[in-house]
Amino acid sequence: MRQLRRLLDRAGEPFQKGGRLERYHPLYEAVDSFFYAPGDTTKTGAHVRDAMDLKRMMILVVVSLVPCVLMALYNTGLQANLVIDPARTDALEGWRHALLQGLGIGYDPSSIFANMAHGALYFLPLYIVTMVVGLTWEVLFAVVRRIEVNEGFFVTGLLYPLILPPDLPLWMAALGISFGVVIAKEVFGGTGMNFVNPALAARAFVFFAYPAQMSGDPVWVAAPTDVRIDGWTAPTPLAEMRLGYGPIETQGLSWWDAFLGFIPGSLGETSALACLVGAVIIIVTGVGSWRTMAAVVVGTIGMAGLFNLIGSETNYWYGMPFWWHMVLGSWAFATVFMVTDPVTSPFTDAGKWVYGIIIGAMIVLIRVVNPAYPESVMLVILFMNVMAPLIDQVFVRANIKRRQARHG
Amino acid sequence: MEHFINLLIRAVFLENLALAYFLGMCSYLACSKKMETAIGLGLAVVFVQTLTVPLNNILMRGLLDEGALSWLGPTFAEIDLRFLSFILFIAVIAAAVQIVEMAIDRFLPALYTSLGVFLPLIAVNCVILGGSLFMQERDYTLPESIVFGFGSGFGFAIAIVALAAIREKLSYSNVPEGLKGLGITFIVVGLMSMAFMVFSGIQL
Repeated sequence: MRQLRRLLDRAGEPFQKGGRLERYHPLYEAVDSFFYAPGDTTKTGAHVRDAMDLKRMMILVVVSLVPCVLMALYNTGLQANLVIDPARTDALEGWRHALLQGLGIGYDPSSIFANMAHGALYFLPLYIVTMVVGLTWEVLFAVVRRIEVNEGFFVTGLLYPLILPPDLPLWMAALGISFGVVIAKEVFGGTGMNFVNPALAARAFVFFAYPAQMSGDPVWVAAPTDVRIDGWTAPTPLAEMRLGYGPIETQGLSWWDAFLGFIPGSLGETSALACLVGAVIIIVTGVGSWRTMAAVVVGTIGMAGLFNLIGSETNYWYGMPFWWHMVLGSWAFATVFMVTDPVTSPFTDAGKWVYGIIIGAMIVLIRVVNPAYPESVMLVILFMNVMAPLIDQVFVRANIKRRQARHG
Repeated sequence: MEHFINLLIRAVFLENLALAYFLGMCSYLACSKKMETAIGLGLAVVFVQTLTVPLNNILMRGLLDEGALSWLGPTFAEIDLRFLSFILFIAVIAAAVQIVEMAIDRFLPALYTSLGVFLPLIAVNCVILGGSLFMQERDYTLPESIVFGFGSGFGFAIAIVALAAIREKLSYSNVPEGLKGLGITFIVVGLMSMAFMVFSGIQL
């Protein structure tokens, strides 16, 4: 370790003040603080009044995402291995399958290792592309604007691949994260100064720009359609509901499978259990607000209960109970990791309740009444990101008025 | 009843005049710097819109439509005056705005000064004329036009107040020199409009 320190010090000399590469100091600083805890803490930005600094906060979110990442690796491989026809594996092409077959890993859905390996071959490229492209933009902005690269992107860069469908072309992922980092974050000054969640903006951009790769039945399982077992389209459970096959209970899907996450879907969002583990870490360490999460739960239960009471003969969504709403789609993932984003959610406590309850209610509302999207969670949160400053304003103004009335 | 709720939600969110049709951008961008101004302009738009759209609807059905003049006598039954709708709508809107302006000047002078030139400019605001023209194009009935007028005005008000709140929050941001002011606001409006697409496709 001491050698590394010495190496970094020596390599860092030209980057210091007056050095030849002074302009690129943020680049060196980022590498340095990646290996060593820097002596100073965040002075400005999102955490002005807190002793906790940005680096620790962001790294805790990354830690709480680990269960989701593991599930992403396992489940992506599992879903792909389940639908690939064992008799037709020779028809599979591409570097992923060359690697899988060349190393003799195979496509056995009952082998944990085979599933993990298969899933990793889909997750890692997306992750690497996201990190490389996103960090390039971050460094570019840092160098030109003479600010420091900070750790915020590690969270965005991990959240974003987890909410993508596994088979998304890599250049689309790169385009999406470019939009998210540049337009949704860096033009406002970087982490803590944006008003929409960059990962969500990136996903919404890809969703609207390339709907064929982001929705529909075949994209949620990482296997080419022509080698799948006949008749297996593998849509997400939410899409099946949309097609009107019947109430959720009659679709041969068990609630426990959905809870544990063994269903098709975006890479990291299928497992409610993994998100629950993440939620515990986030709440215990105080990184995310328990109020916001609780409020989303309240909103979902209330709205789903209302629809259950109304009932409908033709639309099976009306009868879907809230415990199903919570395990399907990206509800759990979004509630834990997206809604609680401290930068884009309201700052006032009362505002957090209002914000969460509206999100929970709107998720159910859009799922039930909007046939255009099988899943609404991400867009709903994006919409409420836009409304969050307004909610804050309402409560801040009410508070000012109340105190004025009290103290004259 | 369900029909009217559907119409209201469509007018407020789905067909938001500011964020889905990008109408009224000049006042939308210029009056959203401060919350007070934004709330004032929003209220003015709601009021004028709720007043003028039904008013224009009555006039459209009583004067302009083909056969609308038949109450004058059988010789007028053939006349179609729809080509006059632009002039008539604008005239009604201008008159309504004058009334609102006088009322605000009398009762809320602080708001009157903060709205400045934009209150008279509502007369030529595309949101107001656009609302009436949408009403004509979609052939709303009188109750429908009341709901639509209120809904579209309310949608604009929500959009401008939300934008003002975001811009006040962004005063703590570190925006590049060249983007400060209108440049960043355009980006903000673009992101807002993307978020509003969550409603596209709703069927109640």
